[in-house]
Amino acid sequence: MESLIFEMEYNKNKKEIILDKELNNLDKFAFDFFNIAVKYVDCVIISGYVSILLGRSRITEDVDIFIKKIPKETFELFYNDLVSNGFWCINSDNPETLFDYLKDGLAIRFAHGKIPMPNMEVKFPKDKLDEDAFEDAIAVKLPEREIKISSLERHIAFKKYFLGSEKDDEDALHIEELFKKDIDYGKIKKLQKLIKLRKNEI
Amino acid sequence: MKSENNKEKKVFMKPGKNNKEDRENFIKYWVNYIKTHSDKEWSSQQKVLIDSQIRE
Repeated sequence: MESLIFEMEYNKNKKEIILDKELNNLDKFAFDFFNIAVKYVDCVIISGYVSILLGRSRITEDVDIFIKKIPKETFELFYNDLVSNGFWCINSDNPETLFDYLKDGLAIRFAHGKIPMPNMEVKFPKDKLDEDAFEDAIAVKLPEREIKISSLERHIAFKKYFLGSEKDDEDALHIEELFKKDIDYGKIKKLQKLIKLRKNEI
Repeated sequence: MKSENNKEKKVFMKPGKNNKEDRENFIKYWVNYIKTHSDKEWSSQQKVLIDSQIRE
């Protein structure tokens, strides 16, 4: 029987996870983007990268991020900062066009360097259910960096009941196994109902 | 995890009855690795996997 030395520290009340991981290139990419984004807009990382940040042994080509709705002028400042730091958008180099895409509910993708992978998939929240991701978000704190992710319950619920591929189920399982006793299954059930309502509306 | 004679003690995974179960077993096995090793240790293993496909 191996002894537990689980270092990852999840404080539900403070909504934070303390982590002392060695950053991989995907982490560095996501943190670099996030550090620029938070200067202009409230944002939260959602979906697959949440599981990867917290140890899942897989790779992804995109990191999903919600940004709160902001005025066009603020988006242009944000865009220019990204570009001056080596990011580029694979959808257009015109910030007005990009803002229109976001306003229309479409996602835009930013890469860094020559290759379009990995990329940050940026989108505005579509409805109240998306907007709520900002309310119960968790701060993941590393010694010198910080990033915000969706709550573990929201992550599990969307993976299992909205997305639902084998990969998504496995991403959810990773988080469930990792934080077993800390997960609020009542909250997941409530989210499951809301997700079902949304699916019926689509 | 080191045993008394300072050797890494191996933990074994039960094979799944099908691909789905086998993949799920591995996820549980890997989570156990995370829980029994320091953040620096497990993340350096994850880094090998991810950095092999994503350049800085």
